[in-house]
Amino acid sequence: MSGEKNVKTTASVRDLTVKQGFKLSKFLVSWEMVLVYILILINIVLMIAKTNLYFSHGTIQAIIQSGMDVCPLVLGMIFILMLGDIDVSIASTMIFASMITGLCYQSGIPTVIAVLAGVLSGALCGAFNGFFVAYIGMPAVIVTIATSMLFRGIVKIVLDVNVLKEFPVFYTTVAWANLAMIPLALIIFLVMAAVFVFVLHKSNFGRKLYIIGNNPVCAEYSGINVKRIKMIVFVLMGVMCGVASIFFVGRMGGSVSSTMGTGYEMTAIAICVLGGVSTNGGKGKVYGPVIATLIMAFLTYTLGLLDVDANTRKIVTGMILIIAVLIPNINRQLVANIKLKVVYKGNKNVEALNNRTVNEVKRLKETILEVKRDKNLNASDKAMKIKKCEDKIVVLKKKCKEQTAVWLLEQKEDERSAKARFNSK
Amino acid sequence: MNSNGKKKSFVSKMAESRNFGLVFSLVVLLIIAAIITPSLFSLGSIISMLQNNAVYGLLAIGEMFVILTAGIDISIGAILSLSGVICCRLMAENPTVPAIVWVLLSLVVGALCGAVNGVLVGYFKMVPMIATLGTMYAFRGISFLFSGGQWWFPHQFTEGYLKFATLRILGAPAILWIVIAVFILAILFLGYTPKGRRIYAIGTNRESSQIAGIKEGRVVFLAMTLCGMLAGLAGMLYTANYATCSYSIGESYEMTAIAICILGGVSISGGKGKVDGVIIGFLMMSVITYFISLLPGLSVWSDAIQGAIIIAAVALNVYMERSAEKRALKERGDLI
Repeated sequence: MSGEKNVKTTASVRDLTVKQGFKLSKFLVSWEMVLVYILILINIVLMIAKTNLYFSHGTIQAIIQSGMDVCPLVLGMIFILMLGDIDVSIASTMIFASMITGLCYQSGIPTVIAVLAGVLSGALCGAFNGFFVAYIGMPAVIVTIATSMLFRGIVKIVLDVNVLKEFPVFYTTVAWANLAMIPLALIIFLVMAAVFVFVLHKSNFGRKLYIIGNNPVCAEYSGINVKRIKMIVFVLMGVMCGVASIFFVGRMGGSVSSTMGTGYEMTAIAICVLGGVSTNGGKGKVYGPVIATLIMAFLTYTLGLLDVDANTRKIVTGMILIIAVLIPNINRQLVANIKLKVVYKGNKNVEALNNRTVNEVKRLKETILEVKRDKNLNASDKAMKIKKCEDKIVVLKKKCKEQTAVWLLEQKEDERSAKARFNSK
Repeated sequence: MNSNGKKKSFVSKMAESRNFGLVFSLVVLLIIAAIITPSLFSLGSIISMLQNNAVYGLLAIGEMFVILTAGIDISIGAILSLSGVICCRLMAENPTVPAIVWVLLSLVVGALCGAVNGVLVGYFKMVPMIATLGTMYAFRGISFLFSGGQWWFPHQFTEGYLKFATLRILGAPAILWIVIAVFILAILFLGYTPKGRRIYAIGTNRESSQIAGIKEGRVVFLAMTLCGMLAGLAGMLYTANYATCSYSIGESYEMTAIAICILGGVSISGGKGKVDGVIIGFLMMSVITYFISLLPGLSVWSDAIQGAIIIAAVALNVYMERSAEKRALKERGDLI
């Protein structure tokens, strides 16, 4: 307002950063921390229930190792869910990749090439999915349901009822060995997770994923090649399936048959959702699913130790999935909606009036407190002001009640007349 | 789509309609099958083929209701298993109770399961895929707990129970008549009742139908409950048809049901699709699965073939929609 020069300078230093300062109180109730609390809680339960076993040598390593065969799938799935898509063919892709590796290794091809062939075949499967989803524009759910049948069908055709038993030696090492008391699988998992954190949270590519997940149309208009990025993400998922085949086959003691690994896609999706990744896309971080992977490992192991059978564990997994999605949904909006329906009989005017009155009463009460604290006023003035405010509060409340009653009566009258009109026709 | 239909000849209309393509490919399939296995191509074998696939018809109709609201329900296989197990166990324990009770019970069990899905998706606004994924786990687990890992064999089934699926009326088994009745009811429900039309409205355009006064949550709840109810009925009929039951029945049946819907031209993005298309899709799927099972050495191929069929069908759907759009644009250009 003071002149053109001034306006120019203020315009150029417009601050667009949305970063907020680190707040301990906020950090402690963030979803990732809640997951950590759950993990600690499970640990305590296990510690109390099976004290001897918990502190004996190698138990914790065994628990962590038992949950690590699904970890690469989880990392890939984060990106897929971030786009708002879903991939249920990952278990089949994983089995397909392990079959390719096994066949290559069996026929005497060098280890490195055999493993690479497995990973590449996974990438190929991912590209197949990605082509249909991104370029043909088919919904991801249907495509991946179909391809999960297709890939597993191919494995069934090739293997029939045979079991592949020859795999590189390092497969079992990855799944079962410890490095300085820490499971090797966990170390590899954390390294991979660090790469994913970098890609999603720090790189250009990761930020584009968030935009596409939030609004694909907007992303398209702002010059992002949505199709290509979708394709890349699905290929990446395929590569992660290929990597997961190493963990999985190692975990199974170096053997593969066509019926193995069913339900892994569900576990991976459940872990991602538990980790706070929204299935609508555009929301979530890598840290959450990493912790959730550990939670799932500890949970299944604990339930197993407590003599809960496999199918009850399935129920628990399903319940966790539903509850994890429900929690963010049950928020203030829902409470407000229920209140609108039950207390205010669906009348928005009444709701608005009541909310306004509550706010005004709150403000008046604050002024009363201020007056009480004020040292400049003498006692009689104070009493008078306080009384004025209190009177105002009473009047406001009475007005609100009367108006509410009037409006509700009107609404009832309207409804009755509308019904009468409808019936007469 | 055919707003100025009088200008078009009957033949071009036929060629444009999707059902024509489906019926045409069905006939081709039947001819190929008749050439390969002529001895099995008789009325009796066709009826037994339809009888064995009748359960898919029920599931597909239920799934269609849900897909029309732009949702998806992958828990129907688990609901089928749960209702089948509950009916079988209670039937084996109380053989004197009349069999109609088990039919009603299966409907109630299915409706309850569907209602759980409906509350989660309709009222809590969960993503349908995730919600039904969770309930699929839960129902399958409950089914196992209720069965206790037990199997039921033909000698444990009462005659009245089995008759619901196998009793011959006019040469066809009762299960087929039930499926036909469900088809007719679905046509009437979706085409001629306000509630049925609302399902289409929600699927076509959620916002505008809400503004028009349709309660979205209620409609989705209704669709999912109906879907669960049909899946429950399918569970009871499945056990009565095969006279065996365990908790593992109906695994991946949801995929076949979805495949039938998509084959029949139900758009996965909601709002498009008709019951007659689903019926043709059901016939096609039964022909395919039946002849795959007949040909020696082909049974391992069934999964791969089904997957390939679904992909091809969806690609066809997308192509048809796009060409319909193009045609509409062209017609508009001609009018101007």
